[in-house]
Amino acid sequence: MKTAVVTGAAKPESIGHEVALRLQKEGMQVVVLDLYEEGFPSLPGCRCVKCDVSDPAAVDRAFASLKDLHVLVNCVGGSWEITKDDLRAGPRRGFRGLTNCSLEDWNTIRAANLDSVFYCCRAAAPLLGKQGGAVVNVSSVAARKGIPPGAEGSSGPYAVAKAGVMGLTRQLALELGSSGVRVNCVAPGVIASGRLKKVQAVTAKGAGPEGPLKQIPMGRVGTVAETAALIVALCSDDTSYLTGVTIDVNGASYAA
Amino acid sequence: MQLEGKKALVTGAASGIGAAVRKRLQAEGAQVFATDIHQTGDLIVADLTDADHIEKLAAEVGTPDFVINVAGGPVAPSRKNTLPEMPSQSLVLEDIDELQWAAVIAANLTSAFLVCKQFAPRMKARKSGRIVNFASIAARRGSDRVGVHYAAAKGGIIALTKTLALELGPFGITVNAIAPGFIATPRIEQAGWGRSSPEAHRAFLEAIPLRRAGKPDDIAGVVAMLCSEAGGYVSGATIDVNGGLYFGP
Repeated sequence: MKTAVVTGAAKPESIGHEVALRLQKEGMQVVVLDLYEEGFPSLPGCRCVKCDVSDPAAVDRAFASLKDLHVLVNCVGGSWEITKDDLRAGPRRGFRGLTNCSLEDWNTIRAANLDSVFYCCRAAAPLLGKQGGAVVNVSSVAARKGIPPGAEGSSGPYAVAKAGVMGLTRQLALELGSSGVRVNCVAPGVIASGRLKKVQAVTAKGAGPEGPLKQIPMGRVGTVAETAALIVALCSDDTSYLTGVTIDVNGASYAA
Repeated sequence: MQLEGKKALVTGAASGIGAAVRKRLQAEGAQVFATDIHQTGDLIVADLTDADHIEKLAAEVGTPDFVINVAGGPVAPSRKNTLPEMPSQSLVLEDIDELQWAAVIAANLTSAFLVCKQFAPRMKARKSGRIVNFASIAARRGSDRVGVHYAAAKGGIIALTKTLALELGPFGITVNAIAPGFIATPRIEQAGWGRSSPEAHRAFLEAIPLRRAGKPDDIAGVVAMLCSEAGGYVSGATIDVNGGLYFGP
């Protein structure tokens, strides 16, 4: 039985949640690393571990219990609900740009979105390298185009950290290619996740964290199912010759 | 069998990538109309640089759910010579005359334009569809082998893809491109690409992070992905499938 680790999968209606369920349906043993314990019962059959993936020691402890690993999906991220203290806080109002965020915001958001990916990849690499495997990271359209100042529920550090995830993906692809480990990334635009609903509950319905929804050429936001299916495809043999690649999934709102 | 009840058009399906795509989509349950300028088996023969041929093709195909524009290559076929030899040497500027330039642009870029022009309005009427075009690593990083005409045509494919994604998005149609790297198709193997010596070949493969040449099935898998649920919200993208040789734009 193949083993997969999915981070940031405990919140219902999240991309990670759907990825964990789909990998399990494909016959994998799925280990979920997340802080949001209330979500664990919604992942029956998965091994849910309470873990702050922005803490390197906690990550090392979580991976130390694994004998085998074939797939790692790094879904943890966001500009809010990313630490144990704000896990249930809802969206932070206002926009924290690079020029008006606190050093604490910068560190917290970078740690959740970028450092966590580094820690998990570093811990996973020796296990994945034993027989080959796949890593999928989750970046954002924000890494491609930045975030319009004023966008509610998002932040400048988030855009920067997500761009870092793309760079990390390329670097790791070079380092792990010879071990048969592929490392790829998806960059979602606006996706109808639980998080989007929370933002829209406190702001205008017609706006997402990356700007007005009417500017999306496909005329709709993406679904969690579509995004999760893409991530699962990047774990499968269909993409056996892809590595270092970021696939944009944004309804044609930005073409890199 | 996730594509049962769906209809696909695959161009350039006589061999290599096109043939692999055809087989894969059939294996997923799709009804596949396969075409090529080179007559092989039960393919529909069509010259895709000729709008009349495409109109006849459309009369047979109707409205496909998927249009996969594989047709193309660094040497342009013609109705007289449908399977021209691949160049064994690098094509440099001095080797390429105006006629070759025009023929390669036509075979790789005009063909995709004409096929989209024929089939996109049908998809628009139905408010759904997926188009997959074929670019190349030559368009991403330049190439020291295939010549400026091919690289420029494939660069054109990327721009055509992005523009059609914007234009057709409101009609529920996705448009994407795949940019293959070194794919060991029968024709490329026959031309001895990357095989000037065993040492050179080994060094060439060693330079690819995944340490191997690609196979036509590697590309067919990505096409299948774009035709599945996984491709539902992907549009305007160019996906590099090259084993990590080059990371895109």
